[in-house]
Amino acid sequence: MMKASEDRVFELIAAYGAEPGAWPEDERDAAKATLAEFPERFADALAKAKALDLVMFNETVPEPDSDLAKRILAAAPQAPRQAGSFASLLKWRLPGRQWPAGATLASLMIGLVSGYAYAGNVTSAEFETADEFYVGLFEEADATSIDWLDEGIAE
Amino acid sequence: MSAGSEVEQIRLAAAGDRAAQAALVHRHMPVIFRVSYRMLQDRAEAEDVTQETFLRVWKKLADWEPRASFSSWACTIALNLSRDRLRKKKPLLMDELPEQMDHGQKPDEALASDQAIARIEEQIAGLPERQREALSLCALEGMGNKEAAEAMGVTVHALEGLLGRARRSLRVSLSAERDQ
Repeated sequence: MMKASEDRVFELIAAYGAEPGAWPEDERDAAKATLAEFPERFADALAKAKALDLVMFNETVPEPDSDLAKRILAAAPQAPRQAGSFASLLKWRLPGRQWPAGATLASLMIGLVSGYAYAGNVTSAEFETADEFYVGLFEEADATSIDWLDEGIAE
Repeated sequence: MSAGSEVEQIRLAAAGDRAAQAALVHRHMPVIFRVSYRMLQDRAEAEDVTQETFLRVWKKLADWEPRASFSSWACTIALNLSRDRLRKKKPLLMDELPEQMDHGQKPDEALASDQAIARIEEQIAGLPERQREALSLCALEGMGNKEAAEAMGVTVHALEGLLGRARRSLRVSLSAERDQ
C-alpha cells in the first residue's frame, strides 16, 4: 500500500483535523498507513487537533425562520402552463412534434391540382380577361350562397 | 444522493416540479443559511442571503450543468452575497489583519473546557474572512476539499493553507483566553 510522507500527514492534520474521515478521500488510506506505522510521531499533533475538533463540533448556529423555506419555494419556477385548446388539438391530431413534410407537400399539391382544374373549366368557356375571371368566381360563389339561403328559408 | 439522481432532481425542479424544488430546498437551505450566518453573524441577514441565493439558483437552474456540484455552486453564490454585504459594512480588508502567533501553549488542555466551547462562535467570527469560509465549508459543513475549493474559487492547496491558519488562530485564541 502507498504511504504518505510524514510531512504530508502533518499537513493533513493541520488543515483537516484529527479525524481521518475529514481528510481528502484520495489521500486518506496512504496517510492512515503512515500514521499506523509511526503513531508516536503524530500523537501531539493529533491531540491538539482533536481538542479543537471537539470544541468546533459544539458550535451552535441559530435556526432560520420557519417560513424561510416557504418564501424560497414561492419564488421557484412554475411549471409551464398547459397549451391552448387549438395547440392541444394539433398535438392530438399530429403525434409528431412537427408537421410532416409529406403532408405539407400533399396539401400543396391537392390545392394546386384542384384549383387548376376548377379555373380551367370556368375561364375557357365564359371569360376573356383575368378581371372577368375573378368577378365571375365571386358571382358564382354568391349565387350558390343565396340559393342555399333561399332553400333554408323555404323550409 | 447520487450525482445522477441529483441531476434528475434539478432538471425536474427547473421544469417546475414542486416536490423536486422542495427537496432541493430541504437539503441545501440549512447549509447555505449556516454558511451565511457564520460569515455575517446576523440571523436576519443570513436569511436574506439564503433567500437571495435561491432566487439566483431558480433563475439559472434551467441552464445549470453538472460540471460542479449543486452545493458548491449554491455556496459560491451565498459566499459572494455574504462578501458583498461585509464589504458594505466593513471596507477594511479583513484578510490583511495580522494573525496571532502561536506561543507554544498547550491548547489541547485549554480547549477542553465549557468556556472554550461557549466562546468558539466568537472566535470563528473573528477569523479573517477567507479562513472563516474555508473552515465553515470544510470543518463545519463536512464539504470535501475539492468541492469547497471550487465553491471558494481557490486551489485545494490554497484551501489547505487557509484551513491550517484558521485552526492555528483558533487554538491560539482559545488558549490565550484560558490563560487570562
